[in-house]
Amino acid sequence: MKGYRKYFLNKLAWFLVTFVFAFLLNFILPRLMPGDPVAAIVARLAQGMTNTTGVQAIYEQYTELFGTNKPMLEQFFLYVRNVMRGDFGFSFSQYPRSVADVLRSSIWWTVALQFPAIIVGWLIGNTFGALAAYLKGGFDKVLMPVSIFVSNLPAFGMAVILMVVFAVNLKWFPTSGGYGFDLIPSFTWAFIWSVIIHYQLPFWSIVLIAIGGQAIGMRSMAIYELNADYVKYSRFMGIKDRKIIGYVFRNAMLPQVTGLALSIGTMVGGALVAEIIFSYPGLGSTILTAVRGQDYPLISAATLIITVMVLSANFIIEILYGFIDPRIKAAQAD
Amino acid sequence: MKKLLYVMSLLIIASMVLTACGAPAATQPPVVETEAPVATEAPLDPAAMAAALPRNETLYFNGQQWGPVVGWNPFSNSNNNALAIAQQDSARVIMFETPYLYNMLDGKQYPLLADGDYAWNDERTEITFKIKAAAKWSDGTPVTAEDVAYTWATHLKYETPTAAANKDYVDTIEAVDPQTVVVKAKLDADGKTVNPLLVQAYLSNNYVIQKAWTETLEARSADATALLADTAEDVVYSGPYGKFFADDQKVVYVRNDEYWGQDASMWGKLPAPKYLAHTIFKDNAAGSVALAQGEVDVSQQFNSNIQVLWLSYGLPVSTYLPEPPYGIGATLPTAFYNLKSYGLDNVAVRKAIAMAVDYPTIIANAMTNQSATFDQVPRSLMNPTAGEQALYDKDAVKDLQWAGNDVEGAMALLDEAGITDTDGDGWRELEGQKLSYVATCPNGWSDWQAAIEIVAAAGKKIGIDITTNYPEWSVYQTVVTKSDAPLPEEGYDIFMMWSDGAGPTQPWGRIRKMMSSEFVGMTSNWNGNWGQYSNPAADELIKAIPTMTDEAELKAAYTELVKIYLTDVPSFTLMYRPQAFHAVNESVWTNFPHDGDGTEPPVPPLDLTDGWSIAGLYNLTLVGE
Repeated sequence: MKGYRKYFLNKLAWFLVTFVFAFLLNFILPRLMPGDPVAAIVARLAQGMTNTTGVQAIYEQYTELFGTNKPMLEQFFLYVRNVMRGDFGFSFSQYPRSVADVLRSSIWWTVALQFPAIIVGWLIGNTFGALAAYLKGGFDKVLMPVSIFVSNLPAFGMAVILMVVFAVNLKWFPTSGGYGFDLIPSFTWAFIWSVIIHYQLPFWSIVLIAIGGQAIGMRSMAIYELNADYVKYSRFMGIKDRKIIGYVFRNAMLPQVTGLALSIGTMVGGALVAEIIFSYPGLGSTILTAVRGQDYPLISAATLIITVMVLSANFIIEILYGFIDPRIKAAQAD
Repeated sequence: MKKLLYVMSLLIIASMVLTACGAPAATQPPVVETEAPVATEAPLDPAAMAAALPRNETLYFNGQQWGPVVGWNPFSNSNNNALAIAQQDSARVIMFETPYLYNMLDGKQYPLLADGDYAWNDERTEITFKIKAAAKWSDGTPVTAEDVAYTWATHLKYETPTAAANKDYVDTIEAVDPQTVVVKAKLDADGKTVNPLLVQAYLSNNYVIQKAWTETLEARSADATALLADTAEDVVYSGPYGKFFADDQKVVYVRNDEYWGQDASMWGKLPAPKYLAHTIFKDNAAGSVALAQGEVDVSQQFNSNIQVLWLSYGLPVSTYLPEPPYGIGATLPTAFYNLKSYGLDNVAVRKAIAMAVDYPTIIANAMTNQSATFDQVPRSLMNPTAGEQALYDKDAVKDLQWAGNDVEGAMALLDEAGITDTDGDGWRELEGQKLSYVATCPNGWSDWQAAIEIVAAAGKKIGIDITTNYPEWSVYQTVVTKSDAPLPEEGYDIFMMWSDGAGPTQPWGRIRKMMSSEFVGMTSNWNGNWGQYSNPAADELIKAIPTMTDEAELKAAYTELVKIYLTDVPSFTLMYRPQAFHAVNESVWTNFPHDGDGTEPPVPPLDLTDGWSIAGLYNLTLVGE
């Protein structure tokens, strides 16, 4: 257990160091973009204003309010202090809405879309991949080319195809939105059903692509493992097929688990393409708008969430690996 | 073992097929259910009301609201509440109301909250108008002259954007008695009104806000910033619609069935739709699909090749005019020259580029023919409306106008000015230095980008090297609107911006913003003349026009300005664009405004929300009724 504690502390230290650097970059990078976010707000306010002093006064009022006139270092310490209190400030682009409010209203749509899509895509993809490797023959000959084709389709291509076929032509599903264009959110069957059918196309546009990629990865891993010496040896030993498959899957699964963790970590980045094509609510387009509008507080908060999620996912995987794969712990503990 | 796996894989595939096919089969009943009228006994309480908006009581919009609504505060400009709050030349009046409504088709201001026309005094220093006796707030109290006066006083006190925009022209607004308002204009040193046009425009551009509610707002706001940041969910309004629901995906307004305008002194009835709803689409493409699907009734966005919807797909979609340009052009998207760039201080170079540009292709490609051509409406500073076109002497400037594609004329002009290719590299030089420019507009503004590409191509045809570059809007706007210093030496030689549309101060306001040197020196210039052109003769005329009352004198002044503009070419218009795009789908509602619909005064194609266009809401009927 001593070896494991050392391994754990080592990983924890790296986690913290990475976090500090990522936090710094989250703050600095958006602010290095050329352009002036306050000018964009003034643009909105100053329409129709023809006197110099009025516009200038408004400009100064907002630079003061958002603190963009202060030196970067001072802004940073203010930011750190506020983040510690859980206060991400006002969103520039949606002022006077707060960043927390903006994120709160879109993050659940993203999580609800991405998390099941990633899990379902991962499960189906890996099952198919393993089956293809194990069964070979006809199944593999059909699955492989289809997977390669689907996984290489650009996300927007898949989304547009699904929309044109199932929404515009067949009219089975709606073309846009998170719920019916004629509904008001309420706890009624009509509304819940509407959310479910609006969910289908964005969901499958993500899942279908994920299945292909996962299947290809799993198939090669499984083929590699099936030809490994320990499999052959086990067969000579007369160990049952089912038992051998168990060994093979456990080994082939390792890289796939890392992939899964990373996808879950990055999922709050949003399914930008699905969101835009289906006008589906979510964080992806919120972040895009923030970047284009130089909405520093919103960009920093969103990237901070992504950073924390990715780092945590990585950290948890590393820790789990210690259990799943004793070789890693052993190597690290030396 | 293998068998088991076969069975498993079959099961998984079967379940996928079932989920994919099963859902649609089951979607049918709820769709029918939502379209059926649902009882809405308690319309003002969303919680108590059924989940669906009845389709035949709801008018759906697109193209106005991008991103979620932030607030309902009529003093603030940062509500992002496009359908409800827009104080502009044709003010949006579904929720808050102005004393007068501007009609861009006949250029007149019609009374809304006001009773009858306004009157200038003999010295033209103050305007008097009455408030309608029937006018009421949503809380049932009457709208009074005191509300009008207090609105202006509050703008001034808290230095709102409205105050900043008008305080150089409007001095005080007083209530003489509960029904009578006197607007006193700012006077210059000679005791003359600084700008009567802008004082008149105030009456149709700006809302009247209730005094009692304003006092509540002031009481809970610590300072001006807090007052402007207040989301004002409790706001009292006088218009026909109020807040019903808003989230990140839509905003819905519900009719106030007690609306005062049903009095015989105004509309005599309520507007037809009970709900106005706006789905928030992520881009134009999504909005266009919804329009085609009949999920949008009134579309205020650029729908590329709109005619395809009725010509090829046979959909009940239409525009104000049945043929190109489909709408009434009102604004003039324009390419400005950086007059400090090398060679662009030379009028021959400026004019040659402008003459060589292939405008018909810009109009066909960038605007998919939703703009009049320069053969139909020769270039001036006027928009294509009949009222503005009548304001200048066409024959006097005929020789100066160009329709484009005149490569030979442009080359001849350059040759004559001695700007030729002296070193044989294929590009012309001015005093030995090659003429090379960057033409630009914001990235992603696809119609503008298409136009700028054609400008660049024109340069190549006449031996001037023009390349294109598209910065992000956030960067572009910071550079272009900084008029207190010269534009950057590189990257912004030829750049696109917009012009004013139709309004009570037009075409004077537009011309001022295209040519007046008063904007040179502004730190944040959101008005115009971004190329920093300066001509004292033009400045003088621009200053004189607002006080002119004699029509012949006015026409002479405008003609002279057009002459200066077409001679000096500080910028050149690339296309005409409507004030607001206006396309309708008549699947549910019909009797929308269209050319020759017989309305008197004519209802302008401004999406039934802006200025006099709101009259269209009272004319709508359901299809089949």
